[in-house]
Amino acid sequence: MAIDTGILTNVALFASFSIVYAVLAIGFNLQWGYTGLFNAGIAGFFLIGAYTAAIITTPPDPPTVLGGVVIVPGHWGGLSWPFVVGASFAMIFSGLAAALIAIPTLRLRADYLAIATLAFAEIIRRVTINFDTFTGGTNGITRIPRLITYEPPDPFAGGMVLLGVGALVLLAVFLLLHFTLESPWGRVLRAIREDEVATMALGKNTLLSKIQAFALGGAIMGLAGALFIETKSYLDPQDFAPALATFPIWVMVIVGGAANNRGVIIGAFLIYGMEYVSVLLKDYVASNAIYYVRLMIIGALLIILIIYRPQGLLPERRRVLK
Amino acid sequence: MAILEVQAVEKSFGGIRAVDRCSLSVEPQSITGLIGPNGAGKSTLFNLIAGLYRPDGGEIWFADRRIDGLPPYAIVQLGLTKTWQIPHELKKLTVLENLVLAAKGHHGDHFVNLFLHPFLVREDEKRLRKQAQSILALTQLEALAHDEAASLSGGQKKLLELARALMTDPAIVLLDEPVAGVNPTLASGLMDLIEQLRKQGRTFFLIEHDMNVVMKRCDTVIVMHQGRKIAEGPPETVRKDPVVIDSYLGG
Repeated sequence: MAIDTGILTNVALFASFSIVYAVLAIGFNLQWGYTGLFNAGIAGFFLIGAYTAAIITTPPDPPTVLGGVVIVPGHWGGLSWPFVVGASFAMIFSGLAAALIAIPTLRLRADYLAIATLAFAEIIRRVTINFDTFTGGTNGITRIPRLITYEPPDPFAGGMVLLGVGALVLLAVFLLLHFTLESPWGRVLRAIREDEVATMALGKNTLLSKIQAFALGGAIMGLAGALFIETKSYLDPQDFAPALATFPIWVMVIVGGAANNRGVIIGAFLIYGMEYVSVLLKDYVASNAIYYVRLMIIGALLIILIIYRPQGLLPERRRVLK
Repeated sequence: MAILEVQAVEKSFGGIRAVDRCSLSVEPQSITGLIGPNGAGKSTLFNLIAGLYRPDGGEIWFADRRIDGLPPYAIVQLGLTKTWQIPHELKKLTVLENLVLAAKGHHGDHFVNLFLHPFLVREDEKRLRKQAQSILALTQLEALAHDEAASLSGGQKKLLELARALMTDPAIVLLDEPVAGVNPTLASGLMDLIEQLRKQGRTFFLIEHDMNVVMKRCDTVIVMHQGRKIAEGPPETVRKDPVVIDSYLGG
């Protein structure tokens, strides 16, 4: 029996994108849903992870020079190292960046933290666009190696490998966070979210816990970045605009249920699923209005949810300690 | 030898001197009351002692260690815990979670221990849940152990404040109006518990406006006015002090 591999490949790619955003959303949920730290610079940590992984895993890409003029800038790195190495460094660099941002800003009140992280992400994106000898600038980074190279290229097999690896990464992150958040350490984070001063006055080093939570969240966002490049044929700095990689993540967490990672995964598939549906429908509608209709639906959904179900689809559960 | 010693401590907010070169000391195993009119600087002094504010001048000594300038968590770990006038319950955590969270020296509070010492973490959690249950029994909150702290009544939140403070195993507890807004039966039960705990070796330093409680339960009363100590002594002496009557008690 013949299977329509075209549709399955498409679905696998859609699911892989959703997984990337689910990992991002889980990272943000750790920071905001559990610890109460509102990160408005998700895209920045995502970008650092994606570019770190790309620079480590791609083959060398020297600048193309024509008549003494640089036509295509190429990019640094080009180490051709395996994905696992790229993903590890992506986590380390994004985690370190988050810790460095956290140390000065986590002493500030929540709204200042949001402003500082928003600015950070925008600076990182501008630097990426303009520092083109390092990052390829607006040309992005091409020739990203696939997890497994098929010769001749086999989109169906490639899609399945991507989906399988993505699912494993998501599961691993989910289990790691379940273990750490349902522990006494996670309880301290939830206490900080409820009332930081009271938590401090009960003998907890809240600044240290906040830095740890923020850095771990950043590292998870970096991992999402490493996974992201595997879903792309080339890396484009515009993918890290706040409207694409920060704001939708907030919506996923709010819709799914803050401080509930299962809900957040559902939220990610739901919100990204709308994008997928709008792409499918685009072929049947004579204009690209569908894209804006999608944004309107998401906006309306968000407002309805905040009024009638502010805790999200799956609310945070009460912990009964035996 | 005093367990707590405040020496010429100052704190200003803008142009207002909330605490003005205030000096006082608290004897170990005592119940010491701190009274004074609203705005006298009592709560500010408590926040200074607990490390929540940094003094502009002066020194604070606790059990022969200088504690001013230490972060609040370090002061709690040394054995000095403060409760809040307006309860600061951790709303979405259960009552039992509020207590276990407050426990002193839980290995699981530290991220790396989750991976390096998983057995120690589990042992601590088991032991501290048991301890929390017994403190809940002592404060008559055991039936509410698994309720969200947000759902407690005002009086129950006051009990939770004390129960949680006890989980930090303090040598001295600073109670900011422990029985304000609590019905008389519950209030007297709470004060009985405090006396019982004092006999077991703990020290209590409390702000209270209910003169019946202060006169009946405190060994020593310190009176603050305009950021300074204006009187100190046994309740019956302080009650007759003309300066205190003039500034606080009234005729």
